[in-house]
Amino acid sequence: MTLGGSSAVHIQSSTTSSAPSVPRTPSSITIHPVALFSILDHYLRRNDEQPRVIGTLLGTRSSDNTQIHVRSSFAVLHSENEEQVAVDMEYHRTMYELHSRVNPKETIVGWYSTGSNLNTYSALIQNFYSQETAPHHAIHVALNTGAEEGEEAGVQAYVSSPVGVFPKPENCIFVPVPVRLQFQDAERSGLDLLTQTAQSPNSTTAQPITSIANLDATLNTVSQMLDRVLGYVRQVLAGEIEGDKALGRYLMDTLGVAAIGEKGGEDKAFNASLQDTLMISYLANLVRAQAEVSARLALVTS
Amino acid sequence: MAATSMAAALAASLPAPTAAPAPAAPTYEAIPPSMAKVIDIEAEIPLQVVQLDGLVVTKILKHSKEASSATVHGLLLGLDLDGTLEVSNSFALPHHVSDEDEKSAKSSARYQASMLRSLREVQADDSVVGFYQATSLGAFFNQNLVEIQAIHQDKLRHGGVVIVHDLSLTARGNASFRAFRLTPSFLDAYKKSNFSTSSLVNHRLTFSSILEEIPLQVRTNPLLGSFLGSLAKSTPSLLPDANPETARTHPIPPSFSALDLGTTGLTKNLEQVIEAVDNYRTEEGNLAYLSRQIARERSRADMYVAKRKEENAARVAQDLAPLPEEDVARLFKIPAEPSRLESMLLLGQIDAYGKSLESTASSGLIKMYGVRSI
Repeated sequence: MTLGGSSAVHIQSSTTSSAPSVPRTPSSITIHPVALFSILDHYLRRNDEQPRVIGTLLGTRSSDNTQIHVRSSFAVLHSENEEQVAVDMEYHRTMYELHSRVNPKETIVGWYSTGSNLNTYSALIQNFYSQETAPHHAIHVALNTGAEEGEEAGVQAYVSSPVGVFPKPENCIFVPVPVRLQFQDAERSGLDLLTQTAQSPNSTTAQPITSIANLDATLNTVSQMLDRVLGYVRQVLAGEIEGDKALGRYLMDTLGVAAIGEKGGEDKAFNASLQDTLMISYLANLVRAQAEVSARLALVTS
Repeated sequence: MAATSMAAALAASLPAPTAAPAPAAPTYEAIPPSMAKVIDIEAEIPLQVVQLDGLVVTKILKHSKEASSATVHGLLLGLDLDGTLEVSNSFALPHHVSDEDEKSAKSSARYQASMLRSLREVQADDSVVGFYQATSLGAFFNQNLVEIQAIHQDKLRHGGVVIVHDLSLTARGNASFRAFRLTPSFLDAYKKSNFSTSSLVNHRLTFSSILEEIPLQVRTNPLLGSFLGSLAKSTPSLLPDANPETARTHPIPPSFSALDLGTTGLTKNLEQVIEAVDNYRTEEGNLAYLSRQIARERSRADMYVAKRKEENAARVAQDLAPLPEEDVARLFKIPAEPSRLESMLLLGQIDAYGKSLESTASSGLIKMYGVRSI
């Protein structure tokens, strides 16, 4: 589940040789969708003259500091021009305090910016955030929105290391770190809903969707996939296209799992389960009818 | 108590109705004629539909998933345009472990005020349009929700909405969001804080007429849409001979959790139905006890009055001065008629549990027949 291409360079950092008190550099980063979506929203609401927006990433670290989970983000005001860059640190602190009241576990792990160009200012901002996250390493997530021509949407994450014999804040090396999108199973359906919404004609879907309708949609998808496979198999059998041996083996593996053993024993289980389900259904209806009757009776006066 | 102080905190932080920022207010230019019809400064166009931004969807999901407490609350921010309430942002409200004291209510109000100010600085929408709440199994009727919403409906433009997010449905692969607001008749009864039987009859209130549902849409902006599109694309693996699981990688792999045959939530749902019915029975018992007491007191008062009348009649017959008619209400304290709000809300809960049970059972049936036919 890597994001944004495979250009991440895996460089073994040399921190192992340094003093044990220095935490290890993060080697993998996971991002929660809400952080990404907040960045996109911030980008949408920027001023026209702002080429990019930046903000703070909040999240948690694993106990050995090698993994960082970015769980949310907030926008930070900044301005940059030819001569200087300014970040509203006051604002950053206020927002962090506000966030930590709701989510005390989330700490500052780094910062984000949109666009994928890293420049001197990036190094300066990185230097600032390194102070915020000290003694841990600050990470930098560059999100390319894909809004500019010729650029592809994607996410890249970096850690920094100082460069030169006498490190200066405006110089640093950004080392890419692999980054993955992470979400819990329960949040999965929310993402599904959004992807469906994005594909629908006017990018809106009506709510609420009943579970039956949801089941129907899923079954339709499965049936379409089966149709596609069937079409492919028929074409191969008719000799229209040459079959891919690997594909055939995959198909056999997959469909072999689906085949169910002999009949008989299941019928009994099926009937028992059917009766249970029907009873629950009757019970639910009964409860609802009783509740309705009770509510009406409360309105009856002698 | 928790509910009231929470409500008080909300009330303190909300802008006064006159100061509610209209969408057109900050721009001091004349409204172009093409927009004159859709921008209503006076909030005259009634709400037709609530539109939920993709960002808010994920924010609510994350908050309700990670929250440690049972009650998950947050404020919704956005603006309304031509009958569509666009909810474009939200933030979580801190949960109070002991929010009995006035202090935490105040700090919560401060939290909201400074959060709103901060969001305005980065040009996010900063007008409160309602709040959200996470529940499980569809039972969102409770005092807390009603109280907060009653305050909102007083203070906000269009009265604000409450968006209810169902955790149990989401876990089953169907992210569910619904928008509600209180019906005018319920609000009227609530303001008079009169939920006696006669008031219920006058307002024609049952549990189904407490809240009215507003149609809700989920929307993704084009940028988010294109980004999701690129996330959903699969990329072939770099390895030449990968096994089927790793041959293609997706940031968002397709999921078929709706086809899960397990009925994990069912037992819990049944338990909750039983619990709600038990609660309802206790509440009904209380009500019956109270009304019996009222009847007893009343009959005693009536008897007293009748006796006094009889006595007076006898005295008049003997040409004696009649005894003064004493104030019956002072002698016998007839208790006020009990509020039926709680029992009504409990009925609503039972109904909601029943409904979710029913939908689980019906989709379970379909899946069972589906499996059998394979």
